[in-house]
Amino acid sequence: MKTPFGSPDFFQAFSDKRSWEPGWMADFRKDSWNRFAALPQTKIKDEKWRFSPRARFGYSNCDQLTDSPKSTTLEGKSSEQVIFESFDQAILDHPNLLSILPSLTGPKLGSDATFLLGSSFSESGFIFKAKKNYKEEEPFICKHFAPKQNHSLFQQNIVIVEPFAEVTLIEYFDSEDQSSTGVLSNLSHIQLGEGAKLNRVVVQRLNSHSTFNHLEKVELGRNAQFTNVSLQLGSAQTRVESRGDIIGDAGEFNNYSLSLGRNNQLFDQRTIQHHIAPHGKSNLLFKNALLDNSKAIFSGLIKVDPAAQHTDSFQTNRNLLLSKKAEADSLPGLEILANEVKCSHGATTSKIDEQELFYLQSRGISKSIAEKLIVLGFFEDIIGQVSNVDLVESLRDEVSQFFNT
Amino acid sequence: MIKPSNIEIDREKGNFHYPTSKYAFDAGVGLSEDVVKYISGVKNEQDWILDFRLKAHSIFEKKPMPTHWASRDLENIDFDVIRYYLAQGQQPSRTWDEVPDDIKKTFERLGIPEQERKFLAGVEAQFDSEAAYSRMKEDLEKEGVIFVGSTEGLRDYPEIFKKWFGKVIPTSDNKFSALNSAVFSGGSFIYVPPGVKLAQPLQAYFRINAENFGQFERTLIIADEGSEITYMEGCTAPKFETSTLHSAVVELVALKGAKIQYITVQNWSNNVFNLVTKRAMAEEEAEVRWIDCNIGSRLTMKYPGVILKGRKARGEVLSIALANDGQHQDTGAKMVHAASETTSNVIAKSVSIGQGRSSYRGLVQIPGHLEHCKNNTECDALLINSDSQTDTYPAIAIQGNENSVQHEASVSKVSAEQIFYMQQRGLNQAEAMSLYVNGFVNDLIREFPMEYSVELKRLIDLEMEGSVG
Repeated sequence: MKTPFGSPDFFQAFSDKRSWEPGWMADFRKDSWNRFAALPQTKIKDEKWRFSPRARFGYSNCDQLTDSPKSTTLEGKSSEQVIFESFDQAILDHPNLLSILPSLTGPKLGSDATFLLGSSFSESGFIFKAKKNYKEEEPFICKHFAPKQNHSLFQQNIVIVEPFAEVTLIEYFDSEDQSSTGVLSNLSHIQLGEGAKLNRVVVQRLNSHSTFNHLEKVELGRNAQFTNVSLQLGSAQTRVESRGDIIGDAGEFNNYSLSLGRNNQLFDQRTIQHHIAPHGKSNLLFKNALLDNSKAIFSGLIKVDPAAQHTDSFQTNRNLLLSKKAEADSLPGLEILANEVKCSHGATTSKIDEQELFYLQSRGISKSIAEKLIVLGFFEDIIGQVSNVDLVESLRDEVSQFFNT
Repeated sequence: MIKPSNIEIDREKGNFHYPTSKYAFDAGVGLSEDVVKYISGVKNEQDWILDFRLKAHSIFEKKPMPTHWASRDLENIDFDVIRYYLAQGQQPSRTWDEVPDDIKKTFERLGIPEQERKFLAGVEAQFDSEAAYSRMKEDLEKEGVIFVGSTEGLRDYPEIFKKWFGKVIPTSDNKFSALNSAVFSGGSFIYVPPGVKLAQPLQAYFRINAENFGQFERTLIIADEGSEITYMEGCTAPKFETSTLHSAVVELVALKGAKIQYITVQNWSNNVFNLVTKRAMAEEEAEVRWIDCNIGSRLTMKYPGVILKGRKARGEVLSIALANDGQHQDTGAKMVHAASETTSNVIAKSVSIGQGRSSYRGLVQIPGHLEHCKNNTECDALLINSDSQTDTYPAIAIQGNENSVQHEASVSKVSAEQIFYMQQRGLNQAEAMSLYVNGFVNDLIREFPMEYSVELKRLIDLEMEGSVG
């Protein structure tokens, strides 16, 4: 991959700047960067990048890193029971929490380069840890801000929910101005202990020139429950890689996402639901509504290991094409190695139902508003997954506003 | 409980072969330009065919194995130990009496001639590289139907076949289509004149008799405007110690309003690599239907496709796969929509038994300038034992707001309640299981011609034997 970040001088300068870090952190960065430098040439034919205009996700336009401490801001009740700190602060306060970094592998769904660059150059992001039995209904909020023109920003988040804790986390991704073309690469490691519950909401509203790499790996312990609701609204191109590993007996992984594409927007989504332990449940629903020249790629895999008997796993991708030039590519996959399972996937791609449109128009609603209403309805079963009523209302507004601008 | 166990199928009936020294023409082992030239020389081919073969050979050498997505088992194919051409030197015989005695014996043991002579209009049986016996009813010939081998087709009817030869599947399509284009021999070339509707199916049997022999037949069927044809092929091979390669190329051309139905029942022994490229082109209002049943082979990779080139063309793939211990059935379908108002339908059912693995791999493509195109894909997988495996890897690329596609796949296991119900009615567990599997694929089997569906049910019963208990 062609990027100034691959030059030894660039890395040396970065290391010098961060010489205050503990030695093991410096070693981890060095090791990650060496692995990045040793990555083989990208292959033309790579199943993990099928249908994707890969060049759009490169770092060739970036020559600097944004190190503004403002790029992650946190809001939430602090207490004895919870740690919620920015990445840099945590290096000083909770080095033991970060020391797991070298053992983390990321989603491994194609963006090895972004994963290794993120491991080498992260200066922001957050660390969240909810201690055992801690329950809080009030959400914890993290706001991420996109880098400046020709800058890249690498963020690393660690989320640990200890046994029987129940929390909600909301992450916003925003641009401060409407013209900068930076690349924001955000890497999350989420671990849920026995019986832990995490509800996570992601709202991405970057400006229409940004590139967004959103990588996450979720590990679920016994009886743990993870629900993710993701709204991908902004950016020029977004690559989502999401892995859910059900490691403990009867873990439950739910992943819901909506994307609203306009102009030349590209949403490249790669997911895996990996059932390692028995009695697990997983449900995935990705909905894309595409206007103008926008394009969505959905590539999902349900993998059931031989030991993961009694698994229930579902995966659905629905695409609504609203223009002649919009494109939806769907690669729903199953790899089933156990026989006592219920697994299915479905993928559909179609346009707005003429009759629904006619019905609304016959009630005096203009065609453009009717279309908007239908799209909002199409997204309702994603937004409706959020349990907090106020939040649901504000998410509806988000989508509706994006449609208006 | 259902426990995995080894299944031994009786293939002994057809398990015999001849020493390779008996063949009049033998291109030796391994592949080189000389082998390609030798094959072309034996067949006395025109220069353009030799050029076509040599070009294909160089493409084959350059192309990588498709292992970036496909099974790594492909790497176990040793191209240097395979025999690429073996023939007894005889021309296709028109009457049964002309067929040499030992070959006749082979077919008699297979049980082909006595049945087929009664029922079938035309039979062409391929014994290793060349067609040994082919027969056509006179009235078919009178109607102008051409049914010949690939060598005769290109030699005697170039004005008909040259135009389409290698056009639906270009040589460089994949490594194995290039290999076939370099060393092809045998297969069927069929032309059905405008408006001729064949009431009875044409048939071909392919059989590998020599060890380490690769079979590379080439089939081209052209159905002219408004004609209709059904073609059936069956494949078998005796058991050998080492693996064998079958790599065919089948091209179908359905001109305006024509209908082609192509039926395959593949029951190679389970050390055959079955790597086949099959594709059809459907012009305006034409209809192509692939019915594909894979029971044998070690690894099958076969994705029959239809390019829907003319308005209102229709493509359909019905596929049944049975994967037993040591087998990987990697099958599927490709539907490329290239005109408005085209429709396609794919129904695939697979059964994995023991440690067998069945995969569905598909492609549906609709570009944005088209309108009113529709695709429906359904994949159902049944897992019999706890270490059976099934995969589904469809790829659906859709543009534009005037088209619609739907894809659905599900995986299930044999329902204990239903087995219990049948046992309660006096069936033993194995019979109940057999009945269940037959029920699972029944709605597809009904689409097969009668003699094939009976045969299929019997084959499924055989495969299921011993898989339970």
